[in-house]
Amino acid sequence: MTTQDREPSGRREALLGPRILAAVLLGLAVLLIVSALGVARGGGYSVIGPATIPLVVAIGLLVLGALFALRTTFMPDVDLGRLAADEEAVTHWPTVGLVGLMLVAYALVLDGFAAGPLDVPGLGYIVATALFVPVTARVLGSRSPVRDLIAGTVIAVAIYIGFTQFLGVRLPAGILGPVL
Amino acid sequence: MEVLGDLAGGFGTALSLENLLFAAVGVTLGTLVGVLPGIGPAVTVALLLPLTFNFEPTGAFIMFAGIYYGGMYGGSTTSILLNTPGESSSVVTTIEGFEMAKRGRGGAALATAAIGSFVAGTISTLAITFLAPVIAGFARSFQPADYVGLMVLAFVSITALIGRSLLRGMISLFLGLFVGLIGIDNLTGQQRFTLGVPQLLDGLNVVVVAVGLFAVGEALYVASRMRHAEEEIIPVRGSLLMSRDELGRSWKPWLRGSALGFPIGALPAGGAEIPTFLSYGLEKRLNPKAPWGKGAIEGVAGPEAANNAAFSGVLVPLLTLGIPTSATAAILLVAFQIYNLQPGPLLFANSRELVWALIASLYIGNVMLLLLNLPLIRLWVKILSIPRALLYSAILVFATLGVYSLANSLVDVLIMYIIGVVGFFMRRYDFPVGPMILGVILGPMLESQFRRALQISQGDLTVFVTRPISAILLFVAVATLVLPYLPRLLGRGQRLVFGSGSDD
Repeated sequence: MTTQDREPSGRREALLGPRILAAVLLGLAVLLIVSALGVARGGGYSVIGPATIPLVVAIGLLVLGALFALRTTFMPDVDLGRLAADEEAVTHWPTVGLVGLMLVAYALVLDGFAAGPLDVPGLGYIVATALFVPVTARVLGSRSPVRDLIAGTVIAVAIYIGFTQFLGVRLPAGILGPVL
Repeated sequence: MEVLGDLAGGFGTALSLENLLFAAVGVTLGTLVGVLPGIGPAVTVALLLPLTFNFEPTGAFIMFAGIYYGGMYGGSTTSILLNTPGESSSVVTTIEGFEMAKRGRGGAALATAAIGSFVAGTISTLAITFLAPVIAGFARSFQPADYVGLMVLAFVSITALIGRSLLRGMISLFLGLFVGLIGIDNLTGQQRFTLGVPQLLDGLNVVVVAVGLFAVGEALYVASRMRHAEEEIIPVRGSLLMSRDELGRSWKPWLRGSALGFPIGALPAGGAEIPTFLSYGLEKRLNPKAPWGKGAIEGVAGPEAANNAAFSGVLVPLLTLGIPTSATAAILLVAFQIYNLQPGPLLFANSRELVWALIASLYIGNVMLLLLNLPLIRLWVKILSIPRALLYSAILVFATLGVYSLANSLVDVLIMYIIGVVGFFMRRYDFPVGPMILGVILGPMLESQFRRALQISQGDLTVFVTRPISAILLFVAVATLVLPYLPRLLGRGQRLVFGSGSDD
């Protein structure tokens, strides 16, 4: 792994991704420093108060973020650049985004969610899972919707019965409540 | 000997029919989940944690021992047949294991991994049996300052010795420290980093972090490249048994691997990666005639034994000092805490029966694994032929279930997804995730011991260097950090990296 990376080759480097990451890290660090400074200092009885370690960690993150930023700009990390370029070449962002959306939707309809104008009905564990599996599989490139729907339903029912009946873990019944 | 009496008592508890059933179920489920690609032992244990919520502690821990071993064995299956290690400690196994599978000796590779794991597991459990009570007794004299030294050493070695970049390892560690600080400070009751979200007051459960980082992060990563990656699954052809020659070439690496793995795992420095690399390098040197790079069975037998032995070794600091030194141990610590048990020197005094039942169940789990898994190899392999798209959808379902059933909390699940996105980017840009998990769990422990030490010393910072134990530990920590750079500082060569030492 390490030896071939050092060979001179025409491989592309892409440091845009790592640069964004460095910026996010620095932003987080600043946010944390502000947040840590807001923690009330402890009383005189303890040498270091509740704010000390958070401040140390936040400043540490700032320093590390700055070093990482340096490695993506003025002192570029060649290995990282090539790795990022290879990743960029094969990454299909819409798939990642859709899977992320599916996850959030799945979590929201499990037991319903209401906040302000948003009112998501709770479908319950079985229905939510039986729908999540085939749709996500489709997003991931599956072309056998019937098989996926059956698989999803089997997984959902098996988990629901196993957990609620045998393990005593509560899962939302949702719209199937009257039947179950 | 007192130990033998205690152990016999442990077997008395663990050998009840009910507990044997728990062990069998644990091993089977552990292998089932562990065999899923990209799911290592840590996530396996995390995902199966909710299964045991309503058990009494002894039964739960016996099941955990099974899950732990099953998860590890499942991990080696994917490494060998699929070239996808579930954890960094399985990376070495893929080198020769995948080559063996390509040459039709996948069955033998799986067998040497299984038997090697059994041998290493048994030797390590024996070592735990006799060592743990001694260390626990010794650790009773430990002061907070000594614990600070131990934890600093664990942080440094985990961050500095693995991964390709110290900087990225440190960033991962500090992200973990930040996440660990979220919540109410337990000494003063002050809120820290909660951003006003009431659900964050109790802090983030390490299970939420581990499942997010490993399972969701991995699923998103695979999703990102689903349209390009062509997975190669090697069918297991031919005999599942090792030939006499392969057996003859395996047994010495098993023993050497165990001898390397256990002590390194048992050190508070911990980590199972280093012994696997060392074992690979050692076997390569001792068996120059083996077909290295073309499926040398020594390269599977040694590292697999080392991996398993190190994993068992990690139980020593966990049980006797209460300090987890691997991601899996961090999850196990959570399991203890669910039952209001605090591992550490006092556990051996206060929960004697449970500890010895747990140790006895490690022996049982090992035997169970061998008995159940060798004959079922073909069945486990079938799981690998489930279409990727369906498999990763199911993994996301399990991940959500594992976190949701912790507290039926939507916020937990959403936070877990956010951490999954973080895990995705860490995976993408080659940040090690182990340091982050340890930061989450060890960070708060380090802070409270640090503050306690300073309270005892009345603010005198020299307490960390005047107490001999703490001074030695901190010195070793600094040495670990500096040593790899010495050659460069002295003007020759570049940084020594573990794993590159194997090729001359």
